[in-house]
Amino acid sequence: MSTNQEKKATGEQKKVGIYICHCGGNISDHVDVEKLAENVKDLDGVAVVHTNTFMCSDPGQELIQNDIRDGKVNRVVVASCAPSLHELTFRGAIKRAGMNPYLYEHANIREQVSWVHHGDQATEKATGLVAGAVAKALRLQPLEPIRVEARRHATVIGAGVAGLRAACDLACRGLEVALIEKSPFIGGRTASLGRLVPTGEQAEEVITQIAAKAMANDKVTIYSCTEVVGFEGFVGNFRLTLKRKPPEEPYSAAEPQKIRMDHLEKGEFLPAAGIFPGDVPDKEQEIFLETGAIVMATGFRSYVPGEGEYGYLHSDKVITLAELVELIARYPDRRGRFLQVKGKPVRRMAFIHCVGSRQIPGIHEPDQDGRLNEYCSRTCCAATLQAAVQIRSSFPETQIFDFYRDIRTYGRGQEEVYREASRQRVTFFRFEPEDPPRVQKSSGGKFPLLVSVKDTLTFGEQIDVPVDLVVLATGMEPTPIKELVEMMKLPVGADGFLQEVHPKLRPVEVANTGILLAGTCQAPMDVGEACNAAQAAAAKTTAMLARGYVELDPFVARVDPERCKGTGLCREACPIEGAIELKERQVDGKTVVQAQITPALCTGCGICVAVCPSRALDINGWTLEQYEAMVDAIVAA
Amino acid sequence: MGATVNPELIDTLEKFGLADASVCFNCGNCTAVCSLSSEDTPFPRKVIRYLQLGLEDRLIQSPEPWLCYYCGDCSETCPRLANPGEVMMGLRRYLTSAYDWTGISRLFYTSKPFEVLSILAIAALVGLGFYFYHGPMLTDRVALNVFAPNRVIEVLDLVMLAVLSFLLLSNAWRLFKGVMGDPGQYPVLDISDRQQPLNRSVRGVPLRLYLAEAREFIVHFLTQKRFGSCGTASQRKQWLVHFLIMTGYSTVFLLVVVGIRWFQRDEFYPLWHPVRLLGYYATFAILYGTTYAIMGRLKKSKTVYENSHSTDWAFLILLWLTTFSGIVIHLTRWLEMPLATYYVYVIHLMIAVPMLVLEVPFAKWTHQLYRPLVLYLVKVKQRAMQYNQ
Repeated sequence: MSTNQEKKATGEQKKVGIYICHCGGNISDHVDVEKLAENVKDLDGVAVVHTNTFMCSDPGQELIQNDIRDGKVNRVVVASCAPSLHELTFRGAIKRAGMNPYLYEHANIREQVSWVHHGDQATEKATGLVAGAVAKALRLQPLEPIRVEARRHATVIGAGVAGLRAACDLACRGLEVALIEKSPFIGGRTASLGRLVPTGEQAEEVITQIAAKAMANDKVTIYSCTEVVGFEGFVGNFRLTLKRKPPEEPYSAAEPQKIRMDHLEKGEFLPAAGIFPGDVPDKEQEIFLETGAIVMATGFRSYVPGEGEYGYLHSDKVITLAELVELIARYPDRRGRFLQVKGKPVRRMAFIHCVGSRQIPGIHEPDQDGRLNEYCSRTCCAATLQAAVQIRSSFPETQIFDFYRDIRTYGRGQEEVYREASRQRVTFFRFEPEDPPRVQKSSGGKFPLLVSVKDTLTFGEQIDVPVDLVVLATGMEPTPIKELVEMMKLPVGADGFLQEVHPKLRPVEVANTGILLAGTCQAPMDVGEACNAAQAAAAKTTAMLARGYVELDPFVARVDPERCKGTGLCREACPIEGAIELKERQVDGKTVVQAQITPALCTGCGICVAVCPSRALDINGWTLEQYEAMVDAIVAA
Repeated sequence: MGATVNPELIDTLEKFGLADASVCFNCGNCTAVCSLSSEDTPFPRKVIRYLQLGLEDRLIQSPEPWLCYYCGDCSETCPRLANPGEVMMGLRRYLTSAYDWTGISRLFYTSKPFEVLSILAIAALVGLGFYFYHGPMLTDRVALNVFAPNRVIEVLDLVMLAVLSFLLLSNAWRLFKGVMGDPGQYPVLDISDRQQPLNRSVRGVPLRLYLAEAREFIVHFLTQKRFGSCGTASQRKQWLVHFLIMTGYSTVFLLVVVGIRWFQRDEFYPLWHPVRLLGYYATFAILYGTTYAIMGRLKKSKTVYENSHSTDWAFLILLWLTTFSGIVIHLTRWLEMPLATYYVYVIHLMIAVPMLVLEVPFAKWTHQLYRPLVLYLVKVKQRAMQYNQ
């Protein structure tokens, strides 16, 4: 239902339409919507007031659009849920009706009113908020989005599987791509992996295939042995400084023999190192790049257990899953009675899950930086079970014992690996984090190590398992990229990984426009998921750069030249390098120094507005005048 | 010091029909749906876990396998298709061999050649015995008691009964020790109490309690009433079939072993004579029960019949053939065919004797004693734990 109140607008005046939403009952159960409409209909400048059960529905939007087309309103206020939900919906509706979408103000009467207040007070508060929104709406100016020229060039940092995947996709869409890799090889951690879950393919084959594609594409330039040392600019126009230098020492793979680069051919795969991209620099050089967008694909490193953690470093018979996987990846087709590790047959081996993952304050030791890895690394369960299945089928007399907190074979085809491990007679034990298995050297007996566990599957009984080898299923940690994070001002989550804007709404973008995430720099992922994320980042990048320009929100600082005295206080206070600069300008034949904004860099934070002594700065769409009017209106309501 | 794993056990147990236990991931659905599992004696998950870890001692001390009557609900519910019902069945075979000190049971269950050869060997012994020592074969009339005098058979029967009873009871004693577990776990009586004769401790439990619960043993022995409480209609049918086989077998066992002088006669009893009626009941009950079970196993008509160990077949076939040959003897006597009667009689015993010798102390028939014994001991244990309080 709706109340339609028309007012005679004075002259070509501003005519505000107020549209109040019931939100099903979410709002109207607590806010007396009709009374609210009554309260605000006589405010200055208000031309129409409507209510609707769901203003965001098609009929609700049409209500607004019809009023605009009929010339009844030229300012719109919607009172409904939080602006993060539907502000863009209504701006879009207004734009489609032919009005400037920035002549719009949103009053949040759900999260800020009906969900937290009840009865008359709720209606009263809603009245105040709508009155404030009307006051602001009367002072809104039409705005245009900021249009920035964009280079059709993208840079990918990190040439692991995600970086390679992203580079290939970007190049296929016609963008020039710079692929930057710190090491002399491309392929990243995938080059150290064995058979991949769930298909059982050799990682070597997968990574070689993707790398070959990237190397064969003219649009991809690979910079191996290269690091990013300088960063400036903004979306569409980033400027990077790279440093490329000869690798230290002949590069050594994990195994004893040292590999000399000059013996390698382009595209050759080296276990645990990667694919040789063709050359290594013989002297240090600096390279400058101009690029439109940056895809972060800096990947992860394996957690390294602390000394004595499950006997690590105290016994050479305690190794990490990464070490074991490398070992069995090297000889995928080997068969025998027993698995051989370090030249000795392994009759029985134990896997221990969640090493360096799902750490709990008060139970686990933090690292030197005082950090705990409280997250689940997700990939270790399936990787452990895959290794177990592979060992059981190739070395049938090697017995396997698996100590887990929870088995998290969450992905497609992973549960089948778990089942297969059971079928292959892997014996499982479950422990609580406060009672982890203990790994001790055996005194005498047939086996060198003894793993004891309080097994919750056996009703909390203590079970002893004598073994030859213990493998720790170590989790993932983000590659340390402190310099890049500081230089590029990248957002980092509490877990140390780079953080997206929103896991569902904007899953591969960071808050800094033009920088995207691909793969395990963002969170633990398996190879398939990393490729998934990389393709999403590539698609997002292509969509952004394809038109040759980028449109940004116009809510940035602006300088009033009449008032600016050139104190420079704003520039000192500005957190974004290059967003405010002092420029000379001719005024009435005199040279004055005044602040100048680079809109593409400005985030609209408003710090400059606060520090300016002469009120020369304002944020478009959020001016001081608008704020003052809102406060007055709220107080008066 | 905790229990030490023995991963080899599960491999060696495969021959007892335990194929799927390793895929169990210990969710406990089986135990949750089981209508017989209780808080004190939860199953099947617990013993399957012991099996996965190879904890032989724990298995031998577990009464749970004998508390299960295999309705198959657990196997139908199992998300991993680990077939817990069949695992319990396999565990019963394994435990039967674990209680048996002679080792014959293990051979019988794990070696098909042994299974076949042992049956054939005993049959041959019986055949040869008759070949050399049978009485005159009168052909003018059917004179079975001249060919094989029931007084002689009676003596042989009693000798066999003694030997088999000794073997079965000595095996049951090992079960008893296992299920009662560590005598130290029970509350200790005061010294003054201990001196009363009825309070003498047997495996840590006062004799008084064994006597007090004796009724439990007899009831379960005679009725298998827990079987019926599995719930579903199909399960009640299963109980009936089982009850027929059990009562039929027990009846004929008593007639043949203890009452042979009244059972093996050359003249026909009148139709209403109790021995004749009992004989007919036993014949009908066993024949119906075994035929039903054989058909079920052939068609795999129920979860319980889906997996058949070779000894399951041996048991059913021997029992069916014994009964069938018994009917043939009855007919040839009635038709007054002396020679046919003597030959079929020998064949009848060549089937029946191996069945009794192998099954009673070493294989499936042991459960006739073991099940009620375990149910009884579980009750005694519960009482003993509460005693003194």
